[in-house]
Amino acid sequence: MTKSGYIGFFSHTSMEDIKADNNQVAGVLDTSTGETVLQALIRSFHFDKALMEEHFNENYMESEKFPKAAFKGKITNFSSVNLSKNGTYDVTVEGELTIRDVTKKVSVKGTIEVATGSITAISKFPVVPEDYNITILGVVRDKIEESRSIGCDEISASLKQNKLIFIILAV
Amino acid sequence: MKTYVKVILFFVFFVAVSAILAALYLYNLKHTDMSKARPDFVVTATGLLKEFEDNEALASAKYINRIVEVEGIIGSINTSGDNILTISLKTENDLSSVICTFPAVADPSTFRAGDRLTLRGECSGFLMDVLLNNCAAVNAK
Repeated sequence: MTKSGYIGFFSHTSMEDIKADNNQVAGVLDTSTGETVLQALIRSFHFDKALMEEHFNENYMESEKFPKAAFKGKITNFSSVNLSKNGTYDVTVEGELTIRDVTKKVSVKGTIEVATGSITAISKFPVVPEDYNITILGVVRDKIEESRSIGCDEISASLKQNKLIFIILAV
Repeated sequence: MKTYVKVILFFVFFVAVSAILAALYLYNLKHTDMSKARPDFVVTATGLLKEFEDNEALASAKYINRIVEVEGIIGSINTSGDNILTISLKTENDLSSVICTFPAVADPSTFRAGDRLTLRGECSGFLMDVLLNNCAAVNAK
């Protein structure tokens, strides 16, 4: 498990690129079944511009009302990952992504990198704001790509207790 | 042109320029510099965690988005992908800590596990640990 997983989100538009990082993601990967749980606080997303961060929290994500985002799922082809052999494995993750109390089924591709003593999981989630009841004014909407791809990073794992540290994904 | 037209035009121009400057200022506003900010609360790592464990809703309303000055012993120091420094402060609970994330400029070499540290940051809330963002050390030793 990890407590400092990473979720970034990135949206490219004609006017500007919007980018935020969250390095405080809690994640667990059960190495016997491939099940995984990730949790993150919306407030932990950090923007370069203070005003953008404030709007993100107050107008769009309403982080006071909905402070957390979570993913619960399973790596469907976990048996193809050999945790005792270093290497990079392609995996598919299926599960439920909850943002603003709205839960949607998602299925995404990702990779798992096994190195001595650590496991790193990386995946990208396309997220459409309207799917999660995020209302965006027309003028601003043009600035935001239909799906915000989320890059996920790594987790350093300690293999104690049969749980890996997982670095993760996001919106 | 009549004088009053000139005055009105000048006035409109002045308002427009002020509006643009104000918008640019707001747009480019930086995050508060925690090393200079005045803290809303001064607590110990153990005390802060205990408040969240006892009543998460109450502690959330009190601390989230506020500047908190926390004192504790450094448990672990991590630097992740983009050189983001994260320090956890130990509490009396072995499973939970106060996790403090620094802006990209922070230099990890000034911190050592086991040292006593006081830092300031914005509280983001509670998952398994209390999370602080945009942190700065107050008296790194």
